[in-house]
Amino acid sequence: MMDLSYYYGRKVLVNRLAPVPAGVRVLPTIEVRSRNIRCYRCNQLTAKTIAALPHNEFYCPHCINLGRVSTLNKFYHVPEPNQFLPIKQPILTWHGKLSPLQEQVSLTVAQRMARHEHQLLWAVTGAGKTEMMFAGIAAAIRRGERIGIASPRVDVCLELFPRLQVAFANCEIALLHGRQELPYHYAQLTICTTHQLLRFYHAFDNLIIDEVDAFPYAADKSLLYATKHALKADGGCLYLTATPGDALLREVRQRRLAVSYLPLRYHGHLLPRIKVQLVCWRQRLKHRQLPRRCVQRMNKSLVRHHRFLLFVPHVVDLSSVFITLQAYFPRYRFATVHANDPDRLIKVQRMRDGEYDFLITTSILERGVTFPEIDVYVLGADEAVFSSSALVQIAGRAGRAQSRPTGNVILWVSSNCRQVRQATQQINYMNRKGQRIKDEVSVMQ
Amino acid sequence: MYGWYLHHHGIYRYNSMMKEYMRRYKFDGDYRLRKVFQCEFSTYIRQIPTDYIVPIPITTTTWQTRGFNQVVGLLREVPYLTALQTKIEKKAPQSSKNRQERLAASQPFILKTPAKFKHKKILLIDDVYTTGRTLYHAAELFHQAGGDWVGSVSLAR
Repeated sequence: MMDLSYYYGRKVLVNRLAPVPAGVRVLPTIEVRSRNIRCYRCNQLTAKTIAALPHNEFYCPHCINLGRVSTLNKFYHVPEPNQFLPIKQPILTWHGKLSPLQEQVSLTVAQRMARHEHQLLWAVTGAGKTEMMFAGIAAAIRRGERIGIASPRVDVCLELFPRLQVAFANCEIALLHGRQELPYHYAQLTICTTHQLLRFYHAFDNLIIDEVDAFPYAADKSLLYATKHALKADGGCLYLTATPGDALLREVRQRRLAVSYLPLRYHGHLLPRIKVQLVCWRQRLKHRQLPRRCVQRMNKSLVRHHRFLLFVPHVVDLSSVFITLQAYFPRYRFATVHANDPDRLIKVQRMRDGEYDFLITTSILERGVTFPEIDVYVLGADEAVFSSSALVQIAGRAGRAQSRPTGNVILWVSSNCRQVRQATQQINYMNRKGQRIKDEVSVMQ
Repeated sequence: MYGWYLHHHGIYRYNSMMKEYMRRYKFDGDYRLRKVFQCEFSTYIRQIPTDYIVPIPITTTTWQTRGFNQVVGLLREVPYLTALQTKIEKKAPQSSKNRQERLAASQPFILKTPAKFKHKKILLIDDVYTTGRTLYHAAELFHQAGGDWVGSVSLAR
């Protein structure tokens, strides 16, 4: 006999002929319409010709990597009862301290979570977002709520998990993602990828979505559906990001989403401004050269002992840029990294340890990594791989340290384009807000 | 051991790519993927001279979970015969049977109309040939029914 808690707030796929255990509700899997079918898990429509199995049965190809949903199945579901064991005090075991500005934002976030509002926390890169949600989570746990923290990126989940284990040491936390073999277990706090949210059904009283924009092309509609699906009807939702996309900003403008800003970094400085320079670099690169402006800029950083990251659009650009720069900077130590580089972690660690003067990289280092005191250069920032949010994230690698809160951020483009303009505007917008706060603080002093 | 030899053709090697394909097609149940090899596989089968083409069947349980026969899925415009049927799996433990019973019980298929195959050529179709156990079991039935020639084709070996 399976523990009923397995079904709490979830949709569990079973064979349609299986006998129904007592206390379990059965939900349908697929709505068969005249020309297409709709999946009750991912809400996607599929033409009958594509979704057809023999004998007039159908399946959903969209969410198949979560386990195939078909007319041969049914879902088991038990409405979320919030049956958690009492937690040993204190709930919050984090002993860090928030800055007054962080404290204020943290309080607002917690109050909105208590009212189950839908809200956006727009905090600049390096603002300390994670720590600002601790108070809200602790209060929700105290109220006996079920809480989910989800991100489109597995990396983000994997990074969050140990930090939350430390911050909520007495609380049981479940971690769910596609590459995991561990069986599911019922816990008051769940960390998972946004994809995994589709397995839940009206489970969470509060849901936090971290780095919402991590996949710029991720269909906002399906994310919105997954969120709605996993939340209780009266559940609250907190989106965390440094770079909200158009869909979220629209929600804010239409006042469907409350917003809190944190336009200053934890060290209280503004974001480094983006400089854009027009250069013809692709043609020069064919002749193993780069425009003089670029070389001079990089040279300046090196002479001043400022290490830097040089972003290039594609993996194939890495080697030609590397060879070219070897001729220009024979005395300096540098390397290239990309997503499938087997030595990726080692190289990043070497950069951290100061063994390299600079790294040439694709957009994989756009978020989640911190090197202190660096400059940031982007070759071909106008190419399609760099979305505006990627560029804001890339720019956000500079000036993260208290010891050097500024840094050069230069985008080299061969033509002006929308993403670059939007990224510049977003940073300027947050800096204007940040400057206002700094002015208020200085008036008070 | 049987007194006859099964003429087998395997089109592709069962390497890691093919294993990955089979995992997604059969075990994840992505029926759309039948189309990847359908045309090529069917063309190959059509050029083999034979009287009957017989795909290896799947069990009732597989019909209830997977919902399709992965072998039949690979066939397009191939006139095939569902001559084989899987036996109902018995719950009696193997240890309770003697050797004769075990050998008899290990035959997983039933041939529906044996008379039809006397002095005929039969081509068996399967998705993957590993030990050949399954195909030999099936072939045995056609030989017993008096078939002249039994061959087999699989997508991978």
